Amino acid sequence: MISKLKEAVICLKAGKVTLPYPFAAEPVPARYRGRPIFNVERCIGCGGCANNCPAREILLSDVCQEIRIMRYLGQRCTYCGRCADVCPEHAITMSGEFETATNDKRDLQQELEVFMGTCQRCGRCFTAPGPLEQLMMKGYRQDDLPAGRWVYKSRSFLQSEGLPDIEIELD
Amino acid sequence: MTESALWAIVTGVANVILVLAAAPFCEGIIRKVTARVQSRQGPPIWQPYLDILKLLGKEDIESGESPGLQRLSAYLSLAAVLTLAWFVPMGAAAPLTKAGDAILVIYLLTLCGVSTLLAGLAAGSTYSLFGVSREMMAMLTLEPLLAVGVIVGAVETGSLRLDDVLNASVYSLAAWPLAGILMLVVLLFSLQAFVGRVPFDTAEAETEIMEGPLIEYSGPKLGLFKYAQMSKLFVYCALLVGLFAPWGSQWPYPLALLVLLAKIGVLVLLITLVGATHARYRIDQAIRYYAALFVLSLVALTLALVGF
Amino acid sequence: MPARNVLNQIKERFEPSILRVDVPSDNRLFLYVTPGVVRDICNHVFRDLDARYVVSIGIDDRPYSGQFTVAHNFGFEREKVLSSILVNLPADDPVIDSISPAVPAANWAEREFRDLLGIEPVGCPSMKRLVLPDGWPEGVHPLRKDFSWDLKPAKFDENKVFAFDDPPEGCVVVPFGPFHPTLDEPAHFRLYVEGEIVRGCEYRGFMVHRGIEKLADTVLTYNEIPMMAERICGICGCVHSVAYAQAVEQAAAIEPPARARFIRTIMLELERLHSHLLWVGLANHILGFDTLFMQSFRMREPIMWLCERITGNRKTYGLCVIGGVRWDITPEIKDDINRILDQLEKEWIAAAKAVQGDRNLQKRTKGVGIADAALVKDLGLIGPIARASGVPQDCRRDFPYAAYDQVDFQVITQAGCDVWSRVLVRVLEVFESIRIIRQCLEKMPAGPIQLQLDDELPPGRIGLSSIEAPRGEAHHFVVTGEENRPRRWRVRAPTYQNLQGIPAMIKDQQLADMTISLGSIDPCFSCTDRLEILDIKSGDVRVYSQQEIVNMTRRV
Repeated sequence: MISKLKEAVICLKAGKVTLPYPFAAEPVPARYRGRPIFNVERCIGCGGCANNCPAREILLSDVCQEIRIMRYLGQRCTYCGRCADVCPEHAITMSGEFETATNDKRDLQQELEVFMGTCQRCGRCFTAPGPLEQLMMKGYRQDDLPAGRWVYKSRSFLQSEGLPDIEIELD
Repeated sequence: MTESALWAIVTGVANVILVLAAAPFCEGIIRKVTARVQSRQGPPIWQPYLDILKLLGKEDIESGESPGLQRLSAYLSLAAVLTLAWFVPMGAAAPLTKAGDAILVIYLLTLCGVSTLLAGLAAGSTYSLFGVSREMMAMLTLEPLLAVGVIVGAVETGSLRLDDVLNASVYSLAAWPLAGILMLVVLLFSLQAFVGRVPFDTAEAETEIMEGPLIEYSGPKLGLFKYAQMSKLFVYCALLVGLFAPWGSQWPYPLALLVLLAKIGVLVLLITLVGATHARYRIDQAIRYYAALFVLSLVALTLALVGF
Repeated sequence: MPARNVLNQIKERFEPSILRVDVPSDNRLFLYVTPGVVRDICNHVFRDLDARYVVSIGIDDRPYSGQFTVAHNFGFEREKVLSSILVNLPADDPVIDSISPAVPAANWAEREFRDLLGIEPVGCPSMKRLVLPDGWPEGVHPLRKDFSWDLKPAKFDENKVFAFDDPPEGCVVVPFGPFHPTLDEPAHFRLYVEGEIVRGCEYRGFMVHRGIEKLADTVLTYNEIPMMAERICGICGCVHSVAYAQAVEQAAAIEPPARARFIRTIMLELERLHSHLLWVGLANHILGFDTLFMQSFRMREPIMWLCERITGNRKTYGLCVIGGVRWDITPEIKDDINRILDQLEKEWIAAAKAVQGDRNLQKRTKGVGIADAALVKDLGLIGPIARASGVPQDCRRDFPYAAYDQVDFQVITQAGCDVWSRVLVRVLEVFESIRIIRQCLEKMPAGPIQLQLDDELPPGRIGLSSIEAPRGEAHHFVVTGEENRPRRWRVRAPTYQNLQGIPAMIKDQQLADMTISLGSIDPCFSCTDRLEILDIKSGDVRVYSQQEIVNMTRRV
């Protein structure tokens, strides 16, 4: 009986703690990891985010020699923040957005078109490769944008030297 | 049609309307107070009305072993409670006192439980059968309690007529109405069980047997059962008040009703607080508890017989 | 050299059968033995040397050594040594003596490598399927290296059903799960009930397989796995990511910075705090006592907010990478932690007193779900279950990791063996956790929180890591590999062992006590079910389309 009274005291002391959530959201803390926001101004198209994303949510596709498309899908993204960690230019920030429910998943996508420069030293490395060469070329990515899938590079293609004089390491 | 019959019908219908209107409100109070005890905001107090409306408006799905019996038990559960309302004074004298006696009231009380049994049997799932067996065990030990409660009054007045029994008869005879007070205490302690609330909701036990007898029900039928449960709570409280605390019920109409509602409110509050501060008992523990209460009620009956 | 001592003890009897020994550190021991003696040696280790059985792991090592490997892991608590007894098996005929007759706790693990790798444990008392769905074709073993990670087997048989045992005489079958209000996740118990008394049960789980281990072997990279690992479990996620990181670090002989180790300890203890508070709440909810459920959740909430402040998320901390942690604890956050801990301690003292004196709760939990010390030993039960049976078993003390060797705490034990003792153990452990966090905050050195790793991790090394999760020991086993990913990663969550004790715990009890007995191990089915490939629905219920169900329910 006494324990019941003690429990009652605990309950009464607390008062009402429900937050009025959908009507007024609490501010998120400073380190909060919400939806990542990509800043096209800063992005240099290195693809580090795409290679470190555990959920494979960032796709790269090189449309032509000078345009690289980066697409963030935002469907399976777990907001782990690894992309923001590895970005050398701090082009990705984890925002405070968390109310991302939507009827159309394309609402969550972000697409960046990054203009890539030509190599100043050799000038040769960025000549438009043929389809077969694209497959063998390190650093050249053709993820499946329409299907929203990362294209897994098979080891066998990469071992043959595409362009021996250029050292672009991806993995 | 005589005037008294007309009067009985008017007050009877008034009782039914009162029960139907006020029962969800009591449920709303229970939910709100429980929420506050649990440091929550809680649903709006009119939420149970909306819940019932929503359930009644849903598709009526027929499932289980015997859909006909399921439908019947749903109607029966609410009908039994509402019929009982005709025998309970609510603001005025009980409408049908002339037509029935204390035994009939006990039968009607049992019928409420029987409808739950039927519901579970008709659904025929393993879990609902567990619910049925628990409900049956509880009924066998609980119903005698209420019967004794009514009979104590009957013994005091020497009559089974309902109007005699109801009018504070339990306190009428002796200078020290020990039997009446004892019985009041016993019934207060068992009220929680009669209305099937924690800690005595073993037959429904959401986290054990998933609402037991009601597991197969949905839509309007579930709505009716829920409505019946809420009404049952209201009517049982009114009956308890009628039997053991009728002070003020002779006052003029609106005043008597207010007094009744206030008393029911106190009982509802009691039920809420007990419910919010206890863990559910196992069926064997519950039965042991009922048995102890039954012994006490027998003591009360004996006291009444020897004139206290 | 405790590992050497253990080795010498084993050598006394089995010297000729030991092929190779690795002692990478004082507290790790790897023994390669001949296949013939594996049952005897495990029996000797388990019974005579009183080691605790941890887990058995099957490894497909064919691309590298041309063999299958089976590892039986044991923990020597007195000597503080984690050991692995490894056996190499030929690729064409992977057959091994089952150790289950000697070590009953090994039953599930052996059935698991039989399912997933096709290594046959000869003499295992129960050879039923454990992990694979019922309709999965025979002879297809998804964890073998020649099974592609995204392959769907062609001959999946939707109509095949699991062959349950016959119920005992006079018993009704009560299906408990796969969906039940007290099971927050799917698992199926087939209860044999006589009246209200449970006479036995059979378990069929592993319905939420997510193929995490296969994914780690084939697709993810070392530093992506921690993000995946913490999603193994919704409550003890940090445990899995730390355990994985430690296993890799140990395999590759990387020592994370001291500050990182302290931060890991703090986060693990915060996780224990909120897990225990959650459990007290859920146990009360199971008993129908919703007020205490709400109140303990109310007390838990500030911890969640604190975690959100430290790591950026309430639950999935994203804390670990190989060689350190990602989030530092700044002075402001430190003050926050202290403030919230003070508040929690004050409230929990009051709550603990109220709970300890609650007769109503005691009535429902005393003498319920008994697991005595013998059962704990045989089935390898761990965590609060073991401690509530008087077995002082705690990985934080037995196999110190992170910064636990530098803090002082008590291992709470109770002697009741029942649910009530488990309640008390968890209630009291909250205070120990608070103490540990305070000590950590005090002793935490300054310095970097992440190591710069420039070299590739060496392949083919084995790492073991045991962490005391809120529910018991979480054990991770890693074989490092090429291409920046491990060759094999095996997760043994605490519920994996504890669930095996449930049939014994609920036998001859009331049906009403079944839920709280099950609840008392704090079951986490997604932890247990972590493996397996595809999202194929379990075959033991025929899958109806929505239209079929609607047609069935409406009798036109």
